Amino acid sequence: MSNLLELQQVEAYIQQYHILHDISFEVPKGEVTVLLGRNGAGKTTTLRTIMGLNQASGGSIIYNDKEIGQLKTHSIAQNGIGYVPEDQGIFDNLTVGENLKVAMKKEDEETTTRMEWVLGLFPDLQKFWKKPGGQLSGGQKQMLAIARAYVNENELLLIDEPSKGLAPIIVEKVMESIQQMKEQTTILLVEQNFLMASKIGDRFYIIDDGQTIHNGQMDELKNDKALMKKYLGIA
Amino acid sequence: MDLIVSLAINGLATGMLIFLLAAGLTLIFGLMDVLNFAHGGLFVWGAFSGVWVYNLTGNFMLGIAAAIVTGLILGAITEFLIIRPVYGNHIQQILITLGLMLVLGELIKVVFGPEQKSAVPPAFLDGSFMLGDIILIKYRLFIIAVGIFIFALTTFILKRTRIGLIVRAGVMNKEMVQSLGINIQFVFMAVFMVGAAMAALSGMLMAPYSGVIYAEMGLEFAILAFIVVVIGGMGSFKGSLFAAILVGLTQAFMAYYVPALSLAVNMLLMTAVLIFRPEGLFKVKG
Amino acid sequence: MNLRHIERSTWIYIAFALLLFIVPFLFTGRSMLFMIMQVFIFGIFAMSYDLLLGYTGIISFGHAMFFGIGAYSAAIVMDLNDSTLLSLAAGVLVAVIIAAIVSFIAGILTLRLKSHFYAMLTLALAGLFLVAAEKWTSLTGGGEGFTFRLPEFLRDSGTMYMICLISLVVFFFGLRRFTKSPLGKVLVAIRENENRTESLGFQVLHYKVIVSVIAGVIASFAGVLYVLSLRFIDTSVFAVDVTLDALLMTIIGGVGTLIGPLIGAGLVEFAHHWLSDLADVHWIFERWIILYGIVYILAVIFFPLGIAGTIQSKFSNRVTKGLFKK
Repeated sequence: MSNLLELQQVEAYIQQYHILHDISFEVPKGEVTVLLGRNGAGKTTTLRTIMGLNQASGGSIIYNDKEIGQLKTHSIAQNGIGYVPEDQGIFDNLTVGENLKVAMKKEDEETTTRMEWVLGLFPDLQKFWKKPGGQLSGGQKQMLAIARAYVNENELLLIDEPSKGLAPIIVEKVMESIQQMKEQTTILLVEQNFLMASKIGDRFYIIDDGQTIHNGQMDELKNDKALMKKYLGIA
Repeated sequence: MDLIVSLAINGLATGMLIFLLAAGLTLIFGLMDVLNFAHGGLFVWGAFSGVWVYNLTGNFMLGIAAAIVTGLILGAITEFLIIRPVYGNHIQQILITLGLMLVLGELIKVVFGPEQKSAVPPAFLDGSFMLGDIILIKYRLFIIAVGIFIFALTTFILKRTRIGLIVRAGVMNKEMVQSLGINIQFVFMAVFMVGAAMAALSGMLMAPYSGVIYAEMGLEFAILAFIVVVIGGMGSFKGSLFAAILVGLTQAFMAYYVPALSLAVNMLLMTAVLIFRPEGLFKVKG
Repeated sequence: MNLRHIERSTWIYIAFALLLFIVPFLFTGRSMLFMIMQVFIFGIFAMSYDLLLGYTGIISFGHAMFFGIGAYSAAIVMDLNDSTLLSLAAGVLVAVIIAAIVSFIAGILTLRLKSHFYAMLTLALAGLFLVAAEKWTSLTGGGEGFTFRLPEFLRDSGTMYMICLISLVVFFFGLRRFTKSPLGKVLVAIRENENRTESLGFQVLHYKVIVSVIAGVIASFAGVLYVLSLRFIDTSVFAVDVTLDALLMTIIGGVGTLIGPLIGAGLVEFAHHWLSDLADVHWIFERWIILYGIVYILAVIFFPLGIAGTIQSKFSNRVTKGLFKK
């Protein structure tokens, strides 16, 4: 099995603060890899660093056997990585349709097919096509953000805490759809909600204080109460 | 009655000129978070280069074309040499654009000579006609028409084209636009060039309207444009049209009745907005 | 006060100040003395600008306004009254009051907003004052300006020199003290990270308005000295060039250092003098603003710490990085 994305000893600073010390992990093709860890451990910064929104100061980021650590954000995105930020990054004044159209690099058959598929997954988006993005509910915004990251020929989606601030029933819906997307694409997920993460994740990595300190198959973690208590604070 | 109409037309024409200047300012600010204090410099360069070509060839339209080309070129140079090296640092950006303003203003005197230049409307726009009792001056109507045309064109581009969509998205969230695979640097450059071209066009249209042009008028006019941007809301294109007309009308009526106070009244308008609605009448960002 | 607690740099400054006191006895040429006086006056002006830009991170594009307010207040009050010490004092008082009111209003209106609002409002206000000075001819003499008489004892250039020097010394050490006081520390904290300072419980707006007023008042005092040294006034005191001078002096000399603006004032004033002489050689030197502007732009991009800032960063770790951080 090949790795779509691989991080090796990545370091990063935010201004003068050393946030990432040693992040190393692999994202195998076709799987859902989950980054777990406490608040402030560096999970969001890791995603931002992959995206080039934050410059890595050391280590390497390899995507599809190519070093992308020095590329600009837009080139990284053009290489096939889609990003759903923690705040979803919806363009509030643009309609749902326009939000999706900004993302569409071309309007060829493949993009249209992907669009139709993802709209089938999130029928709400079809329904509120002309509504400004800012007026959507939290769950709808999340769906729009995920759909937007998917419409291009992206092979890898980086999704940052999709459950944040959503009601449990909505979280379930969002997670269900991510599960379905798994068949089409590879996903790197940051998630605090362990219950959800464990349902859809294949592999996990635990990040603590800017370092990847533990990894394994999701199933192992579910049964390792000691580990969970130690790093995730859940018993 | 005819006095009021004629003052109103004056005000609208002035308002359109200010709008062309302020529209570029507000678009650049909205997208790049840069308040370009050198915008007035682009305005004078448009006026001088346009008038130079106009006087040389006798063709007014060529003069306008020359002003627009000057604006595009200066816009590109400014973005690349002045704004880009200090991108991301607000204080440096603000400081540097004022320096550029002064350099552009003085360079005018080096290139075109220190004395003021005069310009007259072309034959086909010269004179006036009567509508009932009211005298309508052709050139002023022409300015208003150009202003409306540019507003409509820009609105169309913003609402109906992909680049417009990207600009509107970029105003709200630059990082996200880049994360969708769009090279925002290219968009910055394009918007800066268009904004500069609008300023230059405004300067060129201004020339036959006021009759004379001089290097210092850049800063004087830019101050009106700043007032407009504050009143209309930083980054709001629609707001800049509305506020420009408001300021233009105030300017025209005050200039007739109490000329000494026309700038003061516009400053008062801005002060009122700063006190009661500091985000401007048309709010853009959350 | 225990003398051992005074920093070494303070001794150097005191020694240098004492040296300046004997200058009038060494140079008798009036034009040289006048030049040095201009350096002192613009030094005070630039220091007041540094307080805003360098210490608090506030950009003003209308600092000329306060300079001009000071200049016109003193000139007009002295012109309308007898040329006595009393009317001079009244002129200074009027200058200080108007400057304080204007800077307070500008500050309260825009300092709670992003930095370009203050820059824009001050630029516009300065434009307004310039127009007022041109139009209100009964009071200001319009673009022509007017000359006025000084009190007897000020007509001697040696006395004037001493007054300027003493003012400079007082403001320099006063401001130095101020910037090292707890209040000054808060200002630096605001410059470095406004949000964090706010969340530490400081009313950032209050501090910024206070600085705005102090800087405005000091600048107006520099304006008073300026007209006293010239005995003549016209609208050029409100010109953007004056603001550019302050910017250039502060940035070339080194923002957030106080001594930097003084070095900058010396450099800019002498360069100005030298370039005016060169105007006879080639007309391009009449357009010295171009050269200033280009030097200024290059300094902002490539030399943002300025002379004093660069020297300081070589000798200590306490660098004013904050102002120009990305």
